[in-house]
Order: sequence, then C-alpha cells, then structure tokens
Amino acid sequence: MSGTDTASGAAPPAVELRGITKRFPGVVANHDINITVGAGTVHAIVGENGAGKSTLMKTLYGMHQPDEGSIAVNGGTVRLNSPSDAIKHGIGMVHQHFMLADNLTVLENVVLGAEGLHGIGSRARARIEELSAQYGLGVRPRRLMEELGVGDRQRVEILKVLYRGARIVILDEPTAVLVPQEVDELFDNLRELKREGLTVIFISHKLDEVLSVADEITVIRRGTTVATADPARTTARELATLMVGGQLPVPELRESTVTDRMVLQIQDLTVAAPDGRPVVDGVSLSIRAGEIVGIAGVEGNGQSELIEAVMGMRPVARGRILLAGEPVTGWSTRAVREAGVGYIPEDRHRHGLLLESPLWENRVLGHQTQPPNAKGPLIDRAGARADTERIVAEFDVRTPGIDVQADALSGGNQQKLIVGREMSNDPKVIVAAHPTRGVDVGAQAAIWDQLRAARAKGLAVLLVSADLDELIGMSDTLHVILRGRLVAEADPGAVTPEQLGSAMTGAGLDPADTSADDSGPATEDEAGA
Amino acid sequence: MTKSLPTPAGFAAAAGAGVVLTVLLDMALLAPAALAIGVVAAFAVAVLFVGSSTADADSGIHRAVVAPVALVLAVLVGLFTGLVADLWLIEPVAYAIGALVGGTASAALYRGLATQLALAFAAVAAAGALALGITALVLYVTGVDPLSTFARMTDYGTQPNSLVTVVNTGTTYYLSAVAVAVGFRMNLFNIGVDGQYRLAALLAAAVGGAFVLPPGLHQLVIILVAVAVGGFWAGIAGWLKVTRGVSEVISTIMLNAIATGVTAYLLNTNRLAVEIGTNNIGTRPIAESGWVPGIPGGFMGAGREIFGLTLLAVAVGVGYWWLLNRTRFGFELRATGQSATAAQASGVNVKKMVVVSMVISGMVAGLVGMPQLLGASHYYALDFPVGLGFTGIAIALLGRNHPVGIAAAALFWSFLNQSSQILDIDGIPKEIAVVTQATMVLTIVVVYELVHRWGRRYQQRQVGRELGRERVAAS
Repeated sequence: MSGTDTASGAAPPAVELRGITKRFPGVVANHDINITVGAGTVHAIVGENGAGKSTLMKTLYGMHQPDEGSIAVNGGTVRLNSPSDAIKHGIGMVHQHFMLADNLTVLENVVLGAEGLHGIGSRARARIEELSAQYGLGVRPRRLMEELGVGDRQRVEILKVLYRGARIVILDEPTAVLVPQEVDELFDNLRELKREGLTVIFISHKLDEVLSVADEITVIRRGTTVATADPARTTARELATLMVGGQLPVPELRESTVTDRMVLQIQDLTVAAPDGRPVVDGVSLSIRAGEIVGIAGVEGNGQSELIEAVMGMRPVARGRILLAGEPVTGWSTRAVREAGVGYIPEDRHRHGLLLESPLWENRVLGHQTQPPNAKGPLIDRAGARADTERIVAEFDVRTPGIDVQADALSGGNQQKLIVGREMSNDPKVIVAAHPTRGVDVGAQAAIWDQLRAARAKGLAVLLVSADLDELIGMSDTLHVILRGRLVAEADPGAVTPEQLGSAMTGAGLDPADTSADDSGPATEDEAGA
Repeated sequence: MTKSLPTPAGFAAAAGAGVVLTVLLDMALLAPAALAIGVVAAFAVAVLFVGSSTADADSGIHRAVVAPVALVLAVLVGLFTGLVADLWLIEPVAYAIGALVGGTASAALYRGLATQLALAFAAVAAAGALALGITALVLYVTGVDPLSTFARMTDYGTQPNSLVTVVNTGTTYYLSAVAVAVGFRMNLFNIGVDGQYRLAALLAAAVGGAFVLPPGLHQLVIILVAVAVGGFWAGIAGWLKVTRGVSEVISTIMLNAIATGVTAYLLNTNRLAVEIGTNNIGTRPIAESGWVPGIPGGFMGAGREIFGLTLLAVAVGVGYWWLLNRTRFGFELRATGQSATAAQASGVNVKKMVVVSMVISGMVAGLVGMPQLLGASHYYALDFPVGLGFTGIAIALLGRNHPVGIAAAALFWSFLNQSSQILDIDGIPKEIAVVTQATMVLTIVVVYELVHRWGRRYQQRQVGRELGRERVAAS
C-alpha cells in the first residue's frame, strides 16, 4: 500500500507527538513517545497488549493530559483538555467497544450529542447520506441500530466521528470484533477515507493487518516508541521482534501427558440466550486427565456461554456435564468449584478479583468454603494469609505484601495471583478463559508454565483464547466453535493459524489446503457439525 | 527515624516519661493541662526511640500527616481516660492513669498508624471544622454571637443529665445506623428502617402488653417479636428485588408508607390500643416483668438512668463487626457489595444474599425501638419517637459503615440534638443543630470519597516504588 500521492514535503504533519510522557501509578504508561503522522496517510501504531497504545490514544483524544511533551495538530501546538477539545481540532476516535444505543435509529445515534450541528431532522439526514456516499460507507440513516451487524455498527461509529467534523480519525483495535471479510471491508473504507484526504491512526497488535493497510508503522514497546517502519520494507517477523524486544516466549507442549481417564465430559450441551435462541448448540467434548483442550473461535460465538454453563453460572437448556463420571449439570457455581473446578475468568476485574480488597481476601474469593480459608462458618484469617504468602512466593506475584489492595498490582501480577489461587485447593479441572490476555510477556511465560505444570500433574484443562498461537501451542486437542457449535477438530501439531482462522469464520478446515499466503475470502459457508 | 531501643523498652520509656511529667506538672498546673504536656513528651520519646513501622515511614506525607494526627489522638485518648477515671478516683491518680494510657497510645499510634487512616482522621477533623464554621457563619448572619452560642451548647450538653440523654438517644441512633449499614455493605439502600422499627415496636409492645411472663423470658419474647417483624418487613423488599427486580429503594419507601398506614389502623381503641392519659392512645402497658432496668447514672453525677439495652446496642455493634470480618457469610456479603459479578463467579448465590442481608438489616431495625419501649415508655403510643430510620442513614454515612465510626457519629449526632435544646431558652432557633449535622454529612461524604480515591492511588504509587526499589537491588 505504498501510496504514491501521499503528502510528503509541503504540508505539515497532521499530528506530531513530541516527548509524550504519562505516568500512572504502578503500571507502564508512556515514556518519551515521538510520532509524526503525515497528513492523508494511514498510520498504524502497533505494540503488544499493555504496551501503552491505548494510553497514548487517550492522551491524543484529550481524555487525560500528558505529564510531559507536546502535541501538534496540523503544525500548531495544541492543549487537549477534553475530548471536545480534540473534536474542535478535528480529531475523532472510534472506540474498541461501540458506544451506540440499540433502540435508536442510525440517524438518532449519529446526532446524539451533536444536535447543534445540523439539527435532528432532514438536514441531519441529508448530511449523513452525503457523508456516507462521499466515503463509501453505505450507512442508511433510517435503520434501527439493533438490526445492524458488527461491521455496519463500526461504520456508523466512523460516520459519527466524520459528522462531527473530524479530519483525523483514531481507530482503537478496530478489527478485534470483526471476522476477516468484515476486516477487508473496513480496510476498503479506510482507503476511501485516505483518498478523500483524511488521516487515519490505526491501533492494532495484528501485524498482518497492519502490513496490508498502513502507510507507516510505529512500534511501541514498554510505553515508548522503539521504531518506525515502512510496511513495504519490513516483515511481520521483524515487527514482532521489535514489539517484544527480544525472543518471544513460545507456547509449546512437550511430550504428551494425556491419559485415558475422562475428567470432564460435556455431552450435547445447549445453552439458550434470554430470547430462547441457542448460544451454545449441542456441544460435546471430553477432556482427559493431563490433557489441554483448546477452543478456537471468533469472539461472541458461544465460548463465554459454554464456560459459564460449565461453571454453573448459566442455566443449561439441554445436555449433560460430567465431572469424573459424576453428573454436575445444574449444580451451583459453589458446588462446581468445591467439586474441584478452578476458574480463570475472561475478565479478571469483573469476575476474578475484589479490586479494593487486600490480596489475602482475594485468595479467599472463590474458595471461601474450603480450607485453608475457612473453618466451618468462619474465615480462617491466619490460614488464608499464610497460603497467600505461599502463592505470592510460588507463583512469583510481584507485590510488597499481601495486605495491598488488588488494584495496586499490574495486570500480569493480578493474573498470576488468580492462576495461583485456582491451582490451589487440589483442582481436577482448570477452566481458563483468555489466561494471558492483557498481561506482559514475562507473566505470559509464567502462566504458560503453570498450565504446563497443571497438565503434567494430571489436571484436565479447558482453554479458551483469542490468541491462536497460544491455542495451537498449548492444546493437545483443538476444537473450533462457530455460532455455538463445534464445527471442526484440528490437530494442534499440524494446523497453522491461517487454517484455524479460516475455520473460525466457517470456511472449513482442510488440512490439504496449505498454501502459505492464502488467507483469502471464504469460499463456501459450510457449517458442518 | 532512629530506632535505638527495642520496641517494648521504647513503649515503656514513652509511657514512663508521660506519667512522670504529668505527676510533676500536676502540682503546678491544672490536671488536664499537665496531662496534655505529659502525653506530648511521651510522643516525643516515641518519635525518637520507637519509630514507625509502616512501609512509607520516611516519606514527606507520612511526616506531615501521621505525626500530628497520632499526637492529637494520643492526647485525646489520654484526656478521655483521665476524665473517666476521675469519676471514681482522686484527681492525681486518675490523671496519672490517663498519662499512662495516653503515653502508650502515642507510641502505638506513631508506630502503627497507616498514612491513609491518619488522613481519614484528619479529613474528619477538617470536615467537622468546616461544618462548625458554616454553622457559625449562619449564626453570625442571623445576628447571634456564634462563640457564646457554642459555649452555651457545650456547657449544657456536657452536664451529667444531658450526657445520659446523649447516650440513650445515641443508642437508638446506633441500632438504626447499623441496620442501614448492613444494607450499605451489600450495596443495598434500606430506606425502610423507619417503617420496620415502628411496625416492629408496635407489634412487640402489643404482644408484651398482652401477657405476663417471668422476667427474662418476657423481655426475650418482646425482643424476638420485634426482630421477627422487622426482618419480615424488610424481607418483603428483598424478595421483591430478587423475584420481580423491584429496586429496594422504591419498595422500602413504599413499605414505609404502608407501615404508617398499618400502624395507624392497628393503633385504635377498637384494636390494639387503649386510652393512655388524656389525648393519647397506646398499646396496653407492658407489665414490670417485661421492663429492662436502667443503669443508674449516679456514678457520673446524673439523676437519670442509662437504658439497660445500651448494652444490647454494644453487643449488636460487636456482632456486626464479627459477622462481617470473621465469618464466611460476612465475607460473601462484602464481596457481593464490592462486585456482584465477582461474587457470582466465586460461587456466591447473589439473590440469596440480597434476601438474607435485607432480612438481617430489618432484624436490627426491629431492635431500634426496644431501648425506648422496654427502658422508658413501656407502651407504644402516638408519641413514640418517629424518623429514627432516616437519622440512621445519615449516621451510617458519617460513620462510614464501621461499627466504631457509627458509634462516634451516633453520639455526636445525639450530642448536637441534646445540647441545642438549651437554645430555645435563649431565643435562638435550635434548628441550628440541624445545619451543623447536614453540613457535616455533606462535607464528610465528599471528603471521605476524596481520601478514598487518593488512598488507592497512594497505595498504587507505594507498590510501584517498592517494586522499583527491589528491581534496583536485584540488579
């Protein structure tokens, strides 16, 4: 995508960040960031989870102020005290999580909060249609938001930003929620924006996507800019090395420890959404002692619901769950946990921790009925505290003590505490949802080590992850989930991330199809169970 | 800070210095002044020889906040001990004991007081000062001299008989605030304590008046009826919340109105009530076997009696603390209050917790009317105190849902109410106390939130700093 007509000489850069430093307590924020974004280009900012990309974009969008450094927009230094300041300077942001009201129309969603620009009636509608045509967004203002798919919603978000007069559009991880075809459509939209002279800042950690769409790439590592690369002259491998600054930890398993003892069996499990539609549809799988079973799927295809059903957090509509041969279907979460199922939740802040409680109380959480945390109806403070000290030492949780609140720790250390907690109390099964999401490389390697250790000890592990390398490297058996159904089983020793990715979108999994660079459009939607 | 003595020796040195100086100065000065100077000396010894054991002992904020707060608290503890001991003992001995306690407290406080807690104390003091300042301003604007008004109030409020009233009213406030606090810890807003205690007191009084039982059993039955009625009435709101999704804020307000209606219906001479004196009807008086004797106030020079059920309130406070901090149930309750999603993922049945904690809140609310009913009026009549449930909300907020904090807030609130009674005689509107109470609640809620946020950030910074130091040491 080396555009020949991109502005190079005369025009000032659209955005220039100089020496931006943002300090947050205890976490890596930003340190001496320098980025120049040329006007009329697509500029990608890549870095692994927690490298400080989002912090930087919040600074640029005026959501918080940098401690040091300056921001220049179109050549003039600006001070952005709030998002409305940023909008005044023509900077708009499309958040990773959409901020749309389902029960309103597209028109209403777009004008919400910007009623002063073109009113809320026909003038606004005309403007939306004009913008939609100009940038090829295909947005129809009368549609109700709840009828729209994810890709359409994203286009509405982009249009919202344009409607407010943005000439510089920031997209925060826009492809995280999209399937590959939608990603292609998004990239067409971005090229259209560029053609119309807009500047796009694109944040991602998916290197293939970045290489295909960006004019220039800035790599961020540990809160600072480490390199700027030309996509035409770099490879994904080189970018990855820049992102982590050295050798990546490799998810891999050594010799098989799989036994023939069934520990967790899921038979024909169906879970219904509140509207009766099945979100998990007839899933059957079994995990033996010493086996890690991975579930691959685009987010929102029933993985979370499957896990919540296993954990007793969601009612089961049909089917059975057996734990070591004993039916546990319909058991309460507490009973399931007491029976020996450890749970590493997908969202540790919502489901895994009491952020404002000390670490030792977080050790008790989830195991509040079991020793060493409880003696009858009482909490065993001494026992819980001693065991927390053990977890902190054994699982290398970096903390000055067990009385600090959980939210004083970094994400990786919080996760290590959770992993340590769930590995205690002699579990038979570990249910791990995205166990290394948003943690630093060191913690990632440590958590993988712990999963390997659990497997060696003969635990059964159910692993759900969005990180395909993690899934392929850490699984003994790999299932693909699509719209609530298991549609394929892959051999982790042979499958490539590309093949897995296409299976996740319903293109099927054909081991014969091993052409290296073909991750192209799905040919046929064969959702064979 | 230097620490040249072992800790027990340091404590002894501090306490000893305080006692010796106090005894010596007592010959020349007023006893309280001597004690204050003695405790200050003890504090200086503590700073020099005991030192601080908290992690951030050498930071500027620690020096700026912890030292003065610990000093003031130690002096207050010493003075209070001296004053109380003075009720029984001769003055030199009483104040020597005060100095001993104050000196030990100064060493212990300086050693162990965490920065965040010290800041919370400082914040409360600042909020109190602000509230008094605003009250003074209001008085000044209305043409009354604030200083003499405050002096009148303090003078009247600290008379022995007033103090007994302060403790008695404070007892009912305390029970009411604990009832509210149980809900608050669960993120439930039980506005219905008012209806719960009134209905409970009425029915308990009716049951108590209807039979004569042996002493002990009689009181127990009355209290159990009150607890059951309060728990049932609050349980309705909990049940509505988990089965129908009705906000407990709405349902408890409505249940208050229903309780008012039910009380008015039942308190009728055709039903539960009899004529009591002129222009008053109430339930049949409880026989003497069902009374709870008061604690004579003679030891503090008062002619009135302290409610015997004040001890019940103390027990409720201890039970509340124990339940929340030592039991599994309390852990689950606090976990649910902090994060319902995390609690659910940890095997807590959140719906059950909502109902159970609402019922417990109501059971405590049922006790609110008991000290008055069994200790003083012995029947439920038209003039039974109302509105205690709403006062309880304000006091729970002031006391930050902590059993000791609530006790301090309840006594303070009750002291303001009692001491303002004198103002009517001087022709000053006694509602001025309400101004103080209201500003106090507002400022303290804001200040607590600020301190809380600051504390979280402060701890995060501390952790970052400490880990950074480790890394440097390791490399």
